[in-house]
Amino acid sequence: MSSTDQNQTVSTEAAPDSVNHEPETHAAPSSKSSGWVVFMFFMIGVVGSLLSGWILFPELLYSKKTQPIDFNHAVHLDNVSDGCESCHYFRDDGSFAGMPDLNSCIDCHEEAQTDDPEEIKFVDEYVTPGIEVPWLNHSKQPDCVFFSHSAHVIGADMSCESCHGDIGTSEHTRVYEENRLTGYSRDIWGHSISRLGKPKAGDPLPMKMNDCAKCHKEETGHKGACFQCHK
Amino acid sequence: MKIDRRSFLTYGTALVLGGAAGSMLSPAPWKLTDDVAIWTQNWPWTPVPEDGEVTYKPSVCTLCPGGCGINVRLVNGRPVKIKGLKDHPVNKGSLCPMGISGLQYLYGPSRVTSPLKREGKRGEGKWKKVSWEEALAAVTGKLAELRANGRPQSLACITGSDQGTIPNLIGRFLTAYGSPNYIRAATAQDAIEQAIYLTQGKQGTPVPDIENANFIISFGSGILDGWGLPGRMFNLYGNQKTPKKIIQVEPRLSDTAAKANQWIGINPGTETALALGLAHVIIKESLYNKDFVENCAFGFDEWTDENGKTHDGFATMAKGYTPKKVSQITGITPAKIKSLARAFARASKPIAINGRGHGAIPGSIDESLAIQSLNALVGNINKTGGISAIPDSNYAKWPEVNIDEIASKGMQQPRIDGAGSEQFPNTRFLLNRLPEIINSAQGESPIQALLVTDANPMYTIPDTTATKKAFDRIPLIVSFSPYMDETASYADYILPNHSYLERLQDVPVAVGISRQVISLAQPVIQPAYDTKHVGDTFIHMAKSLGGFISKAFPWDNYEGFLKEALSDQWRKLKKKGMIEIDHTLPEPMAYTFNTVSTKFEFYPTARNSAKQKEDSALPAYTPVPIEGDTQRFQLVLIPYDSIRLVGGYMANAPFMTKTVDDTVLKKQIGLLEINPTTARGLGLKEGNLALLKTPKGEATVKVHLYEGIMPGIIALPRGLGHTAYSKYLADKGCNTNTLIGSIEDPASGLDMAWGIRAKLTRI
Amino acid sequence: MKEKNNHKHAKRYGMVIDLDKCTGCGSCMVGCYSENNIPFKTDETNKLDSINWIRVFKITNNKPYPDTEICYLPMPCMQCDGVGKHGHSPCVSVCPAVATDYDLDTGIVSQIYTRCFGCRYCMAACPYHARKFNWWDPVWPADMEKYLSPNVSPRMRGVVEKCSFCFHRYQLARNKAYLEKREELAEDEYQTACAEACPTGAITFGDLNNKSHAVHQLIKSPKAFRLLERLKTNPKVYYLTSKNWVRRAGDNYLAHEEPGKIKNNIKEHH
Repeated sequence: MSSTDQNQTVSTEAAPDSVNHEPETHAAPSSKSSGWVVFMFFMIGVVGSLLSGWILFPELLYSKKTQPIDFNHAVHLDNVSDGCESCHYFRDDGSFAGMPDLNSCIDCHEEAQTDDPEEIKFVDEYVTPGIEVPWLNHSKQPDCVFFSHSAHVIGADMSCESCHGDIGTSEHTRVYEENRLTGYSRDIWGHSISRLGKPKAGDPLPMKMNDCAKCHKEETGHKGACFQCHK
Repeated sequence: MKIDRRSFLTYGTALVLGGAAGSMLSPAPWKLTDDVAIWTQNWPWTPVPEDGEVTYKPSVCTLCPGGCGINVRLVNGRPVKIKGLKDHPVNKGSLCPMGISGLQYLYGPSRVTSPLKREGKRGEGKWKKVSWEEALAAVTGKLAELRANGRPQSLACITGSDQGTIPNLIGRFLTAYGSPNYIRAATAQDAIEQAIYLTQGKQGTPVPDIENANFIISFGSGILDGWGLPGRMFNLYGNQKTPKKIIQVEPRLSDTAAKANQWIGINPGTETALALGLAHVIIKESLYNKDFVENCAFGFDEWTDENGKTHDGFATMAKGYTPKKVSQITGITPAKIKSLARAFARASKPIAINGRGHGAIPGSIDESLAIQSLNALVGNINKTGGISAIPDSNYAKWPEVNIDEIASKGMQQPRIDGAGSEQFPNTRFLLNRLPEIINSAQGESPIQALLVTDANPMYTIPDTTATKKAFDRIPLIVSFSPYMDETASYADYILPNHSYLERLQDVPVAVGISRQVISLAQPVIQPAYDTKHVGDTFIHMAKSLGGFISKAFPWDNYEGFLKEALSDQWRKLKKKGMIEIDHTLPEPMAYTFNTVSTKFEFYPTARNSAKQKEDSALPAYTPVPIEGDTQRFQLVLIPYDSIRLVGGYMANAPFMTKTVDDTVLKKQIGLLEINPTTARGLGLKEGNLALLKTPKGEATVKVHLYEGIMPGIIALPRGLGHTAYSKYLADKGCNTNTLIGSIEDPASGLDMAWGIRAKLTRI
Repeated sequence: MKEKNNHKHAKRYGMVIDLDKCTGCGSCMVGCYSENNIPFKTDETNKLDSINWIRVFKITNNKPYPDTEICYLPMPCMQCDGVGKHGHSPCVSVCPAVATDYDLDTGIVSQIYTRCFGCRYCMAACPYHARKFNWWDPVWPADMEKYLSPNVSPRMRGVVEKCSFCFHRYQLARNKAYLEKREELAEDEYQTACAEACPTGAITFGDLNNKSHAVHQLIKSPKAFRLLERLKTNPKVYYLTSKNWVRRAGDNYLAHEEPGKIKNNIKEHH
């Protein structure tokens, strides 16, 4: 379409108000109503993107996965003598064993002890064939991070709950929300997509580098050098 | 309201702007920026090594005969690092770069991961993966056929060692089968061993007590370049309980020469003359150990045999080696010779050692005899800080083998290599003679089947061209190598052994004075590939061959054999990882020798039979006639050894090649060391490309000007120029064995070549 | 967190390399490669793109045969303190990404690969060529990935790397110390891979501030010197030699200058 055609279209089809205007002047609709319309569109944009940013985006960003076995922390905690460390223990070299492997479970679960379908599933699918359970780790950190549990738990006398929340009293595993881009759990960023406000009591703390630095700054007066936590 | 194009654009823009403004107030862009940054740090091709429980497994390194204790660090049972084992008596925690690179011998592109059958032409690299059953059936089928034809002796086996139970098991297989042709590569140890046999009448592994010696004259031995037990040598150098004086005699400033207290440049190949010259000064100035020479030695002075014939004594002979004469031969000033002789004789614990570089080439018997005589002159035989010979491994015992008639006939045949024959009665192995014997044989090859394990003859035998020609005539070559080395790549079948970290093996090592350390190499990991312990393979083959051969191997597997052979030592070895055996003889016994005279024979009477035509059995300096005429080839090429390059049957791990300086290897081309004055004469400058020609072959090299090499001499390192393995090693530099041939010592048959004449022209 | 961050008790980890004992065997290099997941290429002869955290240089006195001498000079990262001990090392001062940083607790200069964006400014700033750039993604062929250590993060293309004094070993040793409720590490608890691998014991490693550590005494030896001392980079890697020509090779001396007798106005740490 040529520019002439365009001009003609404008002059014939425009509202009477605009007739007085020179056809060459292509000013934006100047009436109050069209101003409002522009603003309305602007606001639609704002609201739309706010809604999609705050509500739709997190839904799209995270995929939802369930743990291979619906693990009951509460029951286990009731039956062990040494609290969390009964299963999540320190090795002799001070390293932290993390998620227990099958060897740790086998002592009690060589055969199913109850008729709980999850336990039976655990025994049948993992213990008997000797396959490690592919647990999804909510606190998994990138390879470049060195986190010392002994520095925090023993050195600084922190409780497990202070970072991991009250996972120990849970009766069921939570839905594992995995960031589709990074592959890490939503817990690392924190449940609040805005990272504003404090996590609810009993929720695990977010575990981004800034979170580490913030706590280090508060507790030690210095956020620490890179090598303190990187490898 | 009508939506025309303009308002559409206007409202659209408003919508987009609103959207943009709104999104700024939403977490999406900020979170996405962060996530994308993390996403870029998680490329799937950047590996994330699995973490887990750290454990350590002690074992022993068998990459070379050094027998160093190692400690393997494992994460979740996965080996991740090899360190020296601190409390191992051999190396006390020290380890050479090869030992530390060990995990690159466990994994990597040069490993043979299953039995292979050759598809294309030999060496073409076309293979078919076959099952163990198929490969073993094919190989044993051929072996059975040879025996059925009454020619068991045409089977030969080339191995890397004759120490420990694996070589013994293979030897047992050959005996039961009926072949005397168990051959291993001879090294400087063999020449020294023979010199000790001739002078002391003892058969055993020679061990210099470097630990306690305080004055060491090394005739080219690269103590710090990988000679002897490398890990131990480095440890002893670094932790000298008694400070040592090291005098390094060689034409090139090696790493050992650089660390020695004194480096004496010597014309290559004239070490014997220097040793005899030192003896001359020591005798003339009466500095020798009179107690030993008068009471425990024979043939120092003139003596008369039972036929009434008078023979020269060692002292008489040494008279001829005046400092002046020796100076002309060796290029070392008379004053230096005299002062060296005095310092050596006056030291409280002096020792003289030989075996150039790593000691891969035996050298002449005269050289070893002269050096053993030098040690005897200062009386340091069988005592602390001296030289002793440790009897062959007798810690393991197994039942005698009964053989059938075919085997018995085969075993009566002479060895193919001539070792132990009338000509070379005191030599045990002569691998260097094999190519020539096969090549000169009329009709079909005297060797019809060749088994190769822990050896890479296609690379290590001097004169590679002749070796290849000989191997072409052998109808069946079977390699047991875990790696695609030159010989494996030329084989018809590869029956891959486990790598050293996956296999069980006893490792005897002679250390210090009369001490033997037997270590147990224990698997640190389950075999990663479809491989089989070479001991198991031989037991399997024996069982398939049936009859007496099968009966000779009543064990289910190698472990069963080892357990029985070690009997009550097994548990101790399994538990402690190593045992020590002391072979020290009480005083009078130590100085009673097994010779005819029961004394240390400066005049080795046992040598007479071998040297019938000559007048004297005494050591003498006769120039080794190295190949090439002086007109055409004006330079002399010598090979040199370095601890960063593996010159033997094993080869460099990628990590080791990575440490090699760019003055040794540049891209694919090896650098040749030449003295700047010599280079100037030839119009060569640093980095120039040049064609190196010797009577045996030629190679393109780059010139590296090195002040530390004698003018007129040029040097190339051993351990480069591989044609097989993987792209991390193949086609880098040149293999000195393609340029240098073997020179047979008429007295022993052993290779005594120290170099070759060469010509260098700029390209 | 109640961990002390008291810099009065800060460590200054340093290394003393006895050149008289170094035989140039290369075990330190290989020990480092296998400890720190250092990759290898088919051709490593271009030393400018060959990644080495410690490289053994060969130097000679340039005298003609037979008076020639050679000396091997292993060079890790010098872990420069810089003037005033504030971690003003040449590389840290120029990094625009804070990917390299000076750890005040240990005196170790860190390098965080995931932070580095590969501008290579630090390489230009380093007078010791201690830093290497990953021009390619590393490749571990034929199952060789299986031997990688989980304690050191493998690098990716486009980042700079360098010797960390095996900082991960410090982290692991501290883990154990925490478990045993100790504040201090014993000297042998934290050693670098190169020091551990050196078969002749030429490399000594420890806290220069700690009187009971061997390095504390060794650096007072009249044989001790550092490389390019007059640049005031204040390195924590010291060398020992009994040979004057080797010492002269450690800096650019004018003919009349004698090593060790030149005024060095860097204040020592106390």
